Amino acid sequence: MGGKCPHRKVKKRRLSHKTDRRSKFLIKGDDMVYDELNKPQEDRKPLPLDEDLPGMGQHYCLHCDRFFASVAVRDEHFKTKKHRRRVKQMMGDAPHTQLDADLAGGMGMPDNGPKLMSM
Amino acid sequence: MRLEKCWFCSSTVYPGHGIQFVRNDAKIFRFCRSKCHKNFKMKRNPRKVKWTKAYRRVHGKDMTQDSTFEFERKRNRPERYDRNLTEEVLKAIPKIAKIQVSRAESHHAIRMKGKKKKVQKEAAKEYEQSIHLLKAPSALLAPEKIKVAVSQQAEENRVMEE
Repeated sequence: MGGKCPHRKVKKRRLSHKTDRRSKFLIKGDDMVYDELNKPQEDRKPLPLDEDLPGMGQHYCLHCDRFFASVAVRDEHFKTKKHRRRVKQMMGDAPHTQLDADLAGGMGMPDNGPKLMSM
Repeated sequence: MRLEKCWFCSSTVYPGHGIQFVRNDAKIFRFCRSKCHKNFKMKRNPRKVKWTKAYRRVHGKDMTQDSTFEFERKRNRPERYDRNLTEEVLKAIPKIAKIQVSRAESHHAIRMKGKKKKVQKEAAKEYEQSIHLLKAPSALLAPEKIKVAVSQQAEENRVMEE
């Protein structure tokens, strides 16, 4: 398996693209963002100081899951088309879930049996 | 044996088939084939992709409300093994499947009720609008009668020959 790619020169091989991909894994999925937005206001914790993030992780856009260097940059982001499209998307229906898939596939609601402990 | 449903297209995933993705928040996404997995990676919404069950359900293409859907469920509570019950269930499964198919057929028939009329109407409209592709516009008009003057001499010559 494997071997050297004929078109890949030494210069290119020096650059690893793994770090570029790493940030991709940290992006939240649509359903996670949606849940976060629909939480009551009290449950939201103040943003922790994180020196690895832009602006110490203090300027955050919930909809787009992005950190900004300052309030001005964040406010500029709020005006962008990308952000507004995202807000519109999040205002709509809840994202597709496994439960939706099950129901569409002809299954009933999950059966958890009778409640044993009366609350 | 637990039969899962595909996250994207809602088809049944049998053991040993498809691929499963576990996100870093421990949520599980099952896919029946690479087609569904690829569509998920492209961040497509199954409700907007026409070939998925989710689309068909949202847009009223398939039967949604039916008592036969109540049998197949995820049961999070273990059932004590009972031989008689198992036998009865195995007998009931094909019967239920049969009922479900017939109901789905009747649902389809009801949904397609006005279809024939609609098709004919559309065909008539298309005929009216694009008949010029088959025949030249002048050919469609009634042919004009052409008058030709017959000369006196020609008439006489014919008489002479006889």
